[in-house]
Amino acid sequence: MDFTLSDDQQVLLTAFDGLLDNYRTPPHGIHGYVAWDAAFQNELDASGFAEIAAQEGYGSLEAAMLVEAAASCPVGVEAAASMLVGPLIGHTSGVLALAWQIGRPVRYLAQAQRLCIFDHDAVLVATPAPGDWEEMSGVSAYPMARLLRVPADACRLPDDLAEAVRRRAIIGLAAEAAGLVRGAHEHTVRYVKERQQFGQPLGHFQAIQHRLAEDAQIVQAARLMAFRAAHADCSRQAAIAALYVQDAMRKLIHDCHQFSGAMGLTLEFPLHLWTYRLKVLQGEAGGRAAQAHSVASATWPKQKSKPQLATVLERTI
Amino acid sequence: MEFGWTEEQDALRARLKAFLAANLPDDWETTASLSPGSQAVTDFSKVFCPKLAEEGLLASHWPREHGGNGATAWDHFVIGEVLWEAGEPRGPQYYNVNWIGPTILAYGSEEQKALHLSRMLKGDVIWCQGFSEPSGGSDLGGIRTKAEKTEEDGNRYLVNGQKIWTSYARLAEFCFLVAKTGPARRDVSVFLLPMDRPGITVRPIASVVGDGDLHEVFFDDVEVFEHERLGAEGKGWEVIRYSLDYERVGIPRYALALRTLNRAVAELQDEDCFVPEAELAAATALTACEAARMLVYETVDKRMRGRPDTGSASMARYAVVCAERAVADFVLDWTPHLFTSNDAPMVATHHKRAIAAGLAAGAAEIQLNLVARDVLGLGV
Repeated sequence: MDFTLSDDQQVLLTAFDGLLDNYRTPPHGIHGYVAWDAAFQNELDASGFAEIAAQEGYGSLEAAMLVEAAASCPVGVEAAASMLVGPLIGHTSGVLALAWQIGRPVRYLAQAQRLCIFDHDAVLVATPAPGDWEEMSGVSAYPMARLLRVPADACRLPDDLAEAVRRRAIIGLAAEAAGLVRGAHEHTVRYVKERQQFGQPLGHFQAIQHRLAEDAQIVQAARLMAFRAAHADCSRQAAIAALYVQDAMRKLIHDCHQFSGAMGLTLEFPLHLWTYRLKVLQGEAGGRAAQAHSVASATWPKQKSKPQLATVLERTI
Repeated sequence: MEFGWTEEQDALRARLKAFLAANLPDDWETTASLSPGSQAVTDFSKVFCPKLAEEGLLASHWPREHGGNGATAWDHFVIGEVLWEAGEPRGPQYYNVNWIGPTILAYGSEEQKALHLSRMLKGDVIWCQGFSEPSGGSDLGGIRTKAEKTEEDGNRYLVNGQKIWTSYARLAEFCFLVAKTGPARRDVSVFLLPMDRPGITVRPIASVVGDGDLHEVFFDDVEVFEHERLGAEGKGWEVIRYSLDYERVGIPRYALALRTLNRAVAELQDEDCFVPEAELAAATALTACEAARMLVYETVDKRMRGRPDTGSASMARYAVVCAERAVADFVLDWTPHLFTSNDAPMVATHHKRAIAAGLAAGAAEIQLNLVARDVLGLGV
């Protein structure tokens, strides 16, 4: 156990922070729902950071750290899938989209060079082409498109690789959500220190302090659990981390909006750039029910049950 | 950053489990369902802890010159997880090794270290914590118990006042006592007071936690001497903060919570009732335990590097309270018969101990105050 960054991890994150510095400031003026920024995506691709998990001396933990850091910015970028899943399928550049169900909206599909489609235990890898999808508008802070058909070049991954892809996708989900809850929380804490009501900052009221303190615990636990899952590269830990944050984000999102008042309802205020991404991730990959099933299956494999009362009664009769 | 255990730590865990298998009596789980401060558990702790000491596992994380064997805070936490999950056979003596001993190590005189640490290492001394009072529980600055120096002897204080909710007091030999030594709110000092001093009266309070957990302690002109004061006069607040940082994350409470959850799920599976709704509730409770584990580990990691900051210890403590509650609620929702019967003594044990988690070592709301102030910088 060592919760302190190694020298290499520190150097990596410091360098990545330099790239993120251009994207920490919310975009000025009124803008739409979507947080994604093409320039950010291009800069990430060109930087080489996206391939960190495949580089010697680094791995999925460091990729998860970068994903979490990137997601804490109000400006969005596809990083989780390309950094964590990409190395497993030879995807080295550009956006990788993950489709959890055909016919449903998919994040980053219109921008994607490659696509993973999950269908029960199977995972297909494909190159999406025009006509395979249609862009969607909506209230998500992710760019969304609907997958209309399975792309022509789709091929099924071997079972062991499919399992690894699914595991990394869930780790990416947990890491991205951890960064998003951090970004939303930090923004809200800053706001309640500035916003005055009843002659004092909102942050002086204990009712607000307590809820933001509870949320601070969520932020830190989500981060550590995502990193632990990434370090172990373990399906059970991944599901635990994802379930935790998918469950806890509901309270945190509510609190952040409550404490931002009506400013949090406006598009000029950047809170939605985090929270409306989180709202999508809340149900991603099957949502809490799916992660809970994974956790339960891995933690409590089905035991043989006792004879049931009905069976006994039937026998007696 | 990495999250694995070393081979040595895995071996330590296995060794301790084998030790428990050899040294816990067959009826231990029934005994453990009593309070750690009960006569039965206290008596057993005086048999168990000396054996644990012989194995070098009682206070292995203390410095070698004070009887430890160079083990790390992580090793001590591995031991704590295994023992708490087993129902804490150290009884009240977990106090000694988790926070009283370390606080004496940090602030004690050589004489105090020689006297008290050696007794703790033998595994047969019980301490109680004289913090809360009718006028000051979570608000520790509101205590009224005074230790006033006598005019005729500047080396001697007389203690007058009352403590309440004091765990383990009836069977304790010493009290880690906080008393006012000056007029200001922060003029407090800590004393290592023998409980057999004339003028001390202990009255048990019946509680849902079990026998031996709660007491009132009255002090009427109780003598305590300068050499029994821990740290400088009037500097008790620093000593208290140090001890609380250790106490708040001293118990790996999530370990017994997880065992309880596993027991409840096994019951549901056995009855073919582990339906998707139960699966979601159980897995969610499990994640609360794992969140608590991660935040506690972070605090242990900080302890490895010096001392934990109050903010992270408070955050960890609050997460532990949430985890305890999540599991207790799961049992009540899905396997209420385990709560209402004696079929699973460790489930009852968990419930009795969990109910106090949000109050002991400072109410959960005080932890939130500290997180808001020290971590988020709110209200300052």
